Amino acid sequence: MNRLLVVFLSLLVGSVFAHTNEHANLGEQASSIKTSGKVFHESVSIIRKMHPEFLRHKRDKTLRQGVRTDEYSLKGCVLCHANKNKTNNQYHSVDKKGQFCSDCHEQVGVSLDCFSCHRTIPKEGSL
Amino acid sequence: MSNIRFEQIEGKILGFYALIAGLGILVLAALGSVYYMEHHGHFVTGMNNRIVWGMPHVFALFLIAAASGALNVASISSVFNKKLYKPLSRLSGLVALSLLAGGLMVLVLDLGRPDRLIVAMTEYNFKSIFAWNIILYNGFFVVVAVYLWMMFERRMNRFSRKAGLVAFGWRLILTTGTGSIFGFLVAKQAYDAVIMAPMFIIMSFAFGLAFFILILMASYQWTNRPLGDAVVNRLSNLLGVFVAAVMYFVAVYHLGNLYLAENTGVENFILFDGGIYTKLFWYGQIILGELIPMALIYHPATKGNRSTLGLASVLIIIGGLIQLYVIIIGGQAYPMELFPGKEILEGYGGVAQYSTSLPEMSLGVGGVALAIIAVTFLVKLLAFLPESLADDVDDPHHKG
Amino acid sequence: MSKTLNRRDFIKTTSATTIGVATIANGITLTTFAGTNKTPVTNEKRWGMLIDTNKLSEIDIDGMVSACKKEQGWGSEVHSTGNQKPGWIKKLKVKDKATGKVSNLALMCQHCEEPPCVDVCPTNASMKREDGIVLVDKHLCIGCRYCMMACPYDARSFVHETLSNQKEHMPRGKGTVESCTMCVHKIDKGEVPACVTSVNSDAVIFGDLYDASSKINQTLKTIQSAQIRADLNLNTGVRYSGL
Ligand code: SF4
Ligand code: SF4
Repeated sequence: MNRLLVVFLSLLVGSVFAHTNEHANLGEQASSIKTSGKVFHESVSIIRKMHPEFLRHKRDKTLRQGVRTDEYSLKGCVLCHANKNKTNNQYHSVDKKGQFCSDCHEQVGVSLDCFSCHRTIPKEGSL
Repeated sequence: MSNIRFEQIEGKILGFYALIAGLGILVLAALGSVYYMEHHGHFVTGMNNRIVWGMPHVFALFLIAAASGALNVASISSVFNKKLYKPLSRLSGLVALSLLAGGLMVLVLDLGRPDRLIVAMTEYNFKSIFAWNIILYNGFFVVVAVYLWMMFERRMNRFSRKAGLVAFGWRLILTTGTGSIFGFLVAKQAYDAVIMAPMFIIMSFAFGLAFFILILMASYQWTNRPLGDAVVNRLSNLLGVFVAAVMYFVAVYHLGNLYLAENTGVENFILFDGGIYTKLFWYGQIILGELIPMALIYHPATKGNRSTLGLASVLIIIGGLIQLYVIIIGGQAYPMELFPGKEILEGYGGVAQYSTSLPEMSLGVGGVALAIIAVTFLVKLLAFLPESLADDVDDPHHKG
Repeated sequence: MSKTLNRRDFIKTTSATTIGVATIANGITLTTFAGTNKTPVTNEKRWGMLIDTNKLSEIDIDGMVSACKKEQGWGSEVHSTGNQKPGWIKKLKVKDKATGKVSNLALMCQHCEEPPCVDVCPTNASMKREDGIVLVDKHLCIGCRYCMMACPYDARSFVHETLSNQKEHMPRGKGTVESCTMCVHKIDKGEVPACVTSVNSDAVIFGDLYDASSKINQTLKTIQSAQIRADLNLNTGVRYSGL
């Protein structure tokens, strides 16, 4: 039931964004991948709509069954989509105002709960 | 009985609004405290990793116990068919629902993540007594609401007795469930007793009736409706019996624990050398909350006097809160026996410290205030109170 | 179109692309998880530890505690005071009342086979993996603290304040409960818990209790060992000898 609700909401949210293809704040690595002309997410609209569901699926597998792959890993999202502050070369947290995750979540008015626990910048040593 | 007339109270008097406003401030203060606690985290409270349930749990469990107890008056009339109590049934159901709402508010708002209430409502671990309690609490609302509706709706009146039976059964299970929260904590000596659940039932009888009597007397006094001695004296006697029963269970519980070698440690702690907990137990729970109220209820000089009955009820409520404080906080403060036969020199042990913080206290009081607001509003909105409970109206002997 | 999307197919196609990407991007290193577990863990294994209090020095224990803090990122909370501070692993000094013998030991979550913390949790947040590791699923934890009441070993901590800069592998957050994970993130990579690595002797042995060829299994067969509060019949994964 809960799951259906999430899917439904994701679709709803997705449909709002399905037509715009630009994101102002893609993040350091994600931008480079994009400019290099390669494709990371086969379909941007699918990842937009479905990422909560993918992450949820992944989280249960990892935490409860110990399956650790890099597919749909939240670490991966953060790694690619975090921006750097040009002056001090530090990462901005992805959940800070104007950053990749929060920006979109704010616009569609969906709360973002991942980062009440998860690390918001790539891991140490990846500066 | 058919000519008992129920009527809403007048809500225009100044006192009514003053009461609502005063209680409203307490509820707002509680909500403010919650915001403060949740925003900063629980480090601003008195809780810690040894005393994980603090003052809010004292209030919450007290209110939940009292809620099921407040339904007793209705149960006596429907289950045991005592006519005298029948006109009081509606109010009894209302007080029960309101107290439960207050208790649940406190319980939920003290969670580390109250924003995840939806998780608690959708993910159930059926091995967990806590999960069962969530179901029992929700069910109680439904069962009592249906019961009330059957009492209100003339066409349904004939089913009200059956509904009352269901509600009675449900409330017994509910309090057993609340008491069992502790029964499952095998590692904590203080809670390692089968008697915990029945003791909670008896406690709920006393606390709930004390609330009920206060609300009944206050509402009749303030609305200038007649309230006869027959009703009041009967309730007063019942209250005395309940308090005596609580004392009996408390005695059995503690004697039983003293007898059980592995629990003598915590017993000595509570009864003799537990500092604040020992003082609270003897002066607060036993003397203030049990002996004095008993004296007020039964002593010829004060018997039948409404003010002293009111005072006794207030003392029972305070004593009840103290009793839960001793059980909940005292039981956690005493260290667990990690290494039987060994002494822990360092790293764990000793009596854990707890001093309640203002926000925790204010959340607890806010729960009580919410319950009273709910009662006050609803007796104005719907016809919960008989227009008169004067002896000639209510006394079954008059009616024949 | 999304309504007809088959998630499994989708994952398949994207995973193909993902691997491609890892090689293309100029100057970009994508994290790869070499040697990580790709299939669900099973109950053919049961992870455990054996702590020999005769061999374990106080300095060893301090080292274990700091290794745990460093690995998992706890211990630098600024607002929590006294008993509010987290304590995933603690140093205990215990004296036998009869013999007067003093032992030092490290106490952490004992990874019970019958964990009371799991039984009481209303939302299934407190959970046990098939291989015996007990964890808190913080996605589901509502912070009711019932598990803390139920744990006989005082092993759990409640996060009392807002945290930031958590370890990438160890999400932790205000209002939820946490405890020793037996470094599950390392175990799943075939590594050994941080506290075990920090001790230079064989005072702490880690391994699969069920595996007859493992050192822990063999040692447990030959020496006297004990479970703390064995009377509760929780069948702990962490065992002690020399107590
Ligand atoms: S030691 Fe405590 S937290 Fe760990 S599994 Fe046992 S009961 Fe749960
Ligand atoms: S605090 Fe969290 S993990 Fe512990 S019992 Fe409550 S919901 Fe479960």
